[in-house]
Amino acid sequence: MKLVGLVGTNATHSTNRQLLQYMQRHFANQSTLTICEIADLPAFNEPADRTVPAAVQELSDKIEAADGVIFATPEYDHSIPAALKSAIEWLSYTTRPLINKPVLIVGASNGALGTSRAQAHLRQILEAPELKALIVPNVSFMLGHSLQAFDEQGALIDQAKVGELDNAFNAFVNFVTLADKLLPSSQFFNQTKQFSWKQITDGED
Amino acid sequence: MKLIGIAGTNAAHSFNRQLLTFMQRHFESQAEIELLSLDDVPLFNESNDQSDSPVIQRFNQKIEAADGVIIATPEHNHSIPSALKSILEWLSFKLHPLDGKPVMIVGAAYSVQGSSRAQLHLRQILDAPGVNAIVMPGSEFLLGRAQDAFDDQGNLKVSGTVDFLDSCFAKFQKFARIAAELNVPDAVSYQPGTYDVTAVGHNGELPMAVTLSKDRIEKIDIDTSTETEGIADVAFERIPKEIIDGQTLAVDAISGASITSNGVINGVAQAIKQAGANPDALKKQRTTAKTTEPAVHEITTDVAIVGAGGAGLTAAAKVLQAGKRALVLEKFPSVGGNTVRAGGPMNAADPDWQSQFDAIPGEKHTLQALASIDEATIDPEYLADFQQLKAEIKRYLEQTDGQTGYLFDSKLLHRIQTYLGGKRRDLKGHKIYGQYDLVKELTDNALDSVKWLESIGVQFDKSQVTMPVGAIWRRGHKPMGDLGFAYIKTLKKFVNDNGGTIMTETDVQQLTTSDGQITGVLANGPQGEEVVVHAKAVILASGGFAANTKMLQRYNTYWTAIDDDIKTTNSPAMTGDGIKLGTRVGADLVGMGFSQMMPVSDPETGELFSGLQVPPQNYVMVNQQGRRFVNEYGSRDELTQAAIDNGSLFYLIADDEIKKTAYNTTQEKIDQQVAAGTLFRADSLADLAKQIKMDPAALEQTIADYNRYVDAGDDPEFHKNAFDLKVQVAPFYATPRKPATHHTMGGLKIDTGARVLNAGGQTINGLYAAGEVAGGIHAGNRLGGNSLADIFTFGRIAAESALTDRVSED
Repeated sequence: MKLVGLVGTNATHSTNRQLLQYMQRHFANQSTLTICEIADLPAFNEPADRTVPAAVQELSDKIEAADGVIFATPEYDHSIPAALKSAIEWLSYTTRPLINKPVLIVGASNGALGTSRAQAHLRQILEAPELKALIVPNVSFMLGHSLQAFDEQGALIDQAKVGELDNAFNAFVNFVTLADKLLPSSQFFNQTKQFSWKQITDGED
Repeated sequence: MKLIGIAGTNAAHSFNRQLLTFMQRHFESQAEIELLSLDDVPLFNESNDQSDSPVIQRFNQKIEAADGVIIATPEHNHSIPSALKSILEWLSFKLHPLDGKPVMIVGAAYSVQGSSRAQLHLRQILDAPGVNAIVMPGSEFLLGRAQDAFDDQGNLKVSGTVDFLDSCFAKFQKFARIAAELNVPDAVSYQPGTYDVTAVGHNGELPMAVTLSKDRIEKIDIDTSTETEGIADVAFERIPKEIIDGQTLAVDAISGASITSNGVINGVAQAIKQAGANPDALKKQRTTAKTTEPAVHEITTDVAIVGAGGAGLTAAAKVLQAGKRALVLEKFPSVGGNTVRAGGPMNAADPDWQSQFDAIPGEKHTLQALASIDEATIDPEYLADFQQLKAEIKRYLEQTDGQTGYLFDSKLLHRIQTYLGGKRRDLKGHKIYGQYDLVKELTDNALDSVKWLESIGVQFDKSQVTMPVGAIWRRGHKPMGDLGFAYIKTLKKFVNDNGGTIMTETDVQQLTTSDGQITGVLANGPQGEEVVVHAKAVILASGGFAANTKMLQRYNTYWTAIDDDIKTTNSPAMTGDGIKLGTRVGADLVGMGFSQMMPVSDPETGELFSGLQVPPQNYVMVNQQGRRFVNEYGSRDELTQAAIDNGSLFYLIADDEIKKTAYNTTQEKIDQQVAAGTLFRADSLADLAKQIKMDPAALEQTIADYNRYVDAGDDPEFHKNAFDLKVQVAPFYATPRKPATHHTMGGLKIDTGARVLNAGGQTINGLYAAGEVAGGIHAGNRLGGNSLADIFTFGRIAAESALTDRVSED
C-alpha cells in the first residue's frame, strides 16, 4: 500500500514529523509511507489565474499517486497551523487531489490534549465540498506530551500508545482497501475538479 | 472609540474588505475604524521568528493601542483562510496584543452560509490561551450571497441587513467598554511575611526568600551558590531591583541570562501566589515606559578597550598600572565575556614548579614520539627550536631512565606543541600553522602572565598541575576558586579600584579615524544614547565569532559542514564584532576558515561544565552502542570527527572515584542533574547501560577491557596516551556529550606587539587586538589552556604597545 504522510507544519523541529518517521519504520512491512513537507510551499494568495506553483503540483502528484494520505497536524491556537491550512487551500483551489482520497488524521502536541481541537477542525475542513476527502470514520490518533514521547532512536516509548497507533493504522488500512472497492460505483467518482468558491452552491454543501 | 478592522484574506478582491470599508464609512460618527491589510504578512513559521519585523510590529502596536478589533472573515474549506490564521499565530507567539482585547466577528461569503463555519472556528481560535481575546458573544453577522449584497457605491442594499449590523455594532461598543474594565488590574494585597520558594536557574534550583508586606514586595534574597559565577550575576542584581522598584513582574529578561532572569521572576510569582495574590496581575503591570531621551554622551580617555573579557580587562589593568586612563566598553550587561566560561587552567611552562610532580604513565612515551618526528616535516622557522627541544628531551629521558621521573616541560615544548597542535590542512588542501613570531611571543611570555596575574591578586592552586581538555600536556595553572571567573573577579576589582571605567550594555558600532589614525569609537549606550569616545588608542578585545553560526559557515574551509542548529559553548556575545570593526578600517584577516569544535559539550545547551567533566586520563568515551571509539587523549579535532562519525551523541563513563576528579561540580549539582535526566547514574554498569539504551553486555565488555589496559599501561585498541583511574567503584555515571562550536582561530592580523595590520602588512595606527579577535597564533587548532595564556599575554602586550606607541609620547 502506497501512502503519503503530510507533516502539518513548517517548523524545523516537529514531533509530528517524528511521529510520521516512526510510522514509516514501524509499518514498513505493511506500507510504503512517503513523508511530504509543506515548508517550501508558497503562502496561499488566491491567484486570479489559478496557476499551480511547482511545489504544490509536486505534492499534488504524490497525493494523486497514493492509496491514502496521513495528515499529522500540530495544534496552534485550537486549530491547525496556518502553514497547513495554506497547503490545503492550494490543493483545494488548484488540483484537488484529495477528492475521494482516504485520509487518516493523527497529531502530536506537547500539551496533554494531543491536538484534539486541531483534529476536529481538520476533519471539518477536509469535508468541505472543494476537498471531499474520505476521512476514516471514528479513527484518530492523538499524542500528548510529544516532546517526551520518543526515545533517542525516534521510537515511541509508551507501549500503550504504540498499541493505539497500531489499531488506528490497521483500521485505516482496512478502510483504504474498502474504499478502493466501493469507489468506482460511487456517485462521487466523476467529481469535477474545476472549482471556485464563487461556484459553490448550497446543493454542494 | 478607536477600532482596528482586519479583512481576513490576502486575495485581490474581497467582499469582507468591502464590508469593513462600508462599516468604516457607515459608523464614521461613532468610531474611528482603521483597516490593516494582510497582504505583506509572511506565513507564520515558528522556526523563523519575524515578530520584530515592521509588518508584524505594526499589527502589534495598532492593536495594543486600539479599544477593540473587528475581524471580517471569509470561509475557505469550512474554516478561516490561512492568511488570517497566520497573523493570529504571529500575534500569539512572542507578542500577545489581542490578550484581553474586545473582538467583534463578522463575515461575508458567496454561499448562503455567509462564513458561518469559519466564524465558529475563529471564535475557538480567538479563545485559545495564546490569543486570549474577549470575543463578543451572539450577534453573529453573516453576510451570505455577498456578490449581490452591495450596490455600486459599496453600500449594503438591503435595509434590514444594515439595521442588524447597526444593532450588532451598538452592542459591540458597549461590550468593548465593559470588557475594558476586565483589564483594570486589581489592587494587590499580600499576606505579609517571608516566603521560601525555589526557582529554576541555569544550572538547577535557586532557593529564594521573598519578603512581602501588605501591599509591597519588600525584599528578594537569592541563594546563588549553584550558578556559574559571573554569567548570571547581573540577573541576580538587576531583576530583583527592577521588580522591587516597579512593584511589577513585567520586567525584561537579561540577554545572555534569560533562564536565570525568568527563574527569578517565576520565583517571586510563586511567593506572591503563596501570599494570596494573583501574580498575573503584576505580570501585566508595566512600569512607566522608559522616557529617557536619547542623548549624546562624550568621553575622552587614553585607551579605549572593546570587550570586558579576560583580554580587555587585562589590557585595562596594564594601562591603569602605567598611570593612564582606561575605558572598557562591553555590549553585554555583565563583564567576563567567554573567560567566565573557561575551565580555569591556563598553560604556561614552569619547569621549576612542574618538576616537583611525578610523571604519569604515558608521558615519557609522548615525549619519545615527539622527538622521533621526522625533521623534514617540521616547517623551517621552527626547525632550530625543534632540534633544541629534541636535545632537551634526550637529556631528560637519560636522566630519568628506569625511574618514574618528574613531569618535564619547557618553553620550547610548549612552543612546539602549540605549533604542531595548530598545524592543519583545510578542505581545499591549504596548510596552516601558527605564525612563528606570535607563537614564540606567547610561549615566552605565558609564565610572566601567570606571575603578573598573581601580582594583582589571582591565586593559583600550586598543589596540582592539570591538563585542560585538548591541551596535550600537563602545564595548566589552575586558579583557586571559581574557574574562569576567578580571573575576572580579580581583574574587575583591580580596574574599578584603580580608576578605570567599565561601561556595560554599550555596543561599539564603529571605529573613528582621522588622517589614517584611530581616534576613538562610536557606541550605543543602554538607553539608546550615542556614546562618543575619544581615545589615543583602541584595543579590540571582543572575542571570536563562535556564537555566529552564519559567519562560521561563511568563512568555514575546514569542516565538511556546520549545522544551522549547532550549539556553542560560548557566550552568545561572541558574534565577531571586533573582526567586523577592524575590517571596516582596512584590517587584514588571517586563518578565518578554521574553527574549533568542543567535542565534549552538553547536547542540549552546548555548555561544557554540565555532567561530570573529568581530566582526559580519566575519561572513558563510549558511543551509543557502548563501545569505545577513539583515543580519549586525542586532539579535539580527532575527538570531534570521531564523534560525528559515531552519530555525534556519545557518553563519558565514570565511577565514584573518577567523579571526584570532575571540575566545577558538587554532589548537590550532580544529584540535581541526575534528577533532571541530564546525567545518568546506576549501581551497576548493566543498569547504567539500560538507562542510556545501550547493550549492557557491550558496555560491560568495554569497561572490562579498558580496566585491563589501565593495569597494563597500554591500550592496544586506540592507544590512549595516559591513564589514571579504572572504572570499578559504584555508583557509575554516564554524561551525554555532543560536539559544539568552541573557538575561532582566525581573526585580525597582528604583529608581535598586538598591532593590527592591513593587507599591505602595515600597522593601522592606534589599533590593537588581543585574544580571540586576533588570528595567526593557534592557526588550525587551539590547544586547551592556550586561550587563557593568549588573552593574558596579548592583553598585556596590546596595552604596552598602545602606551609606548600612542600614549607616552605626549
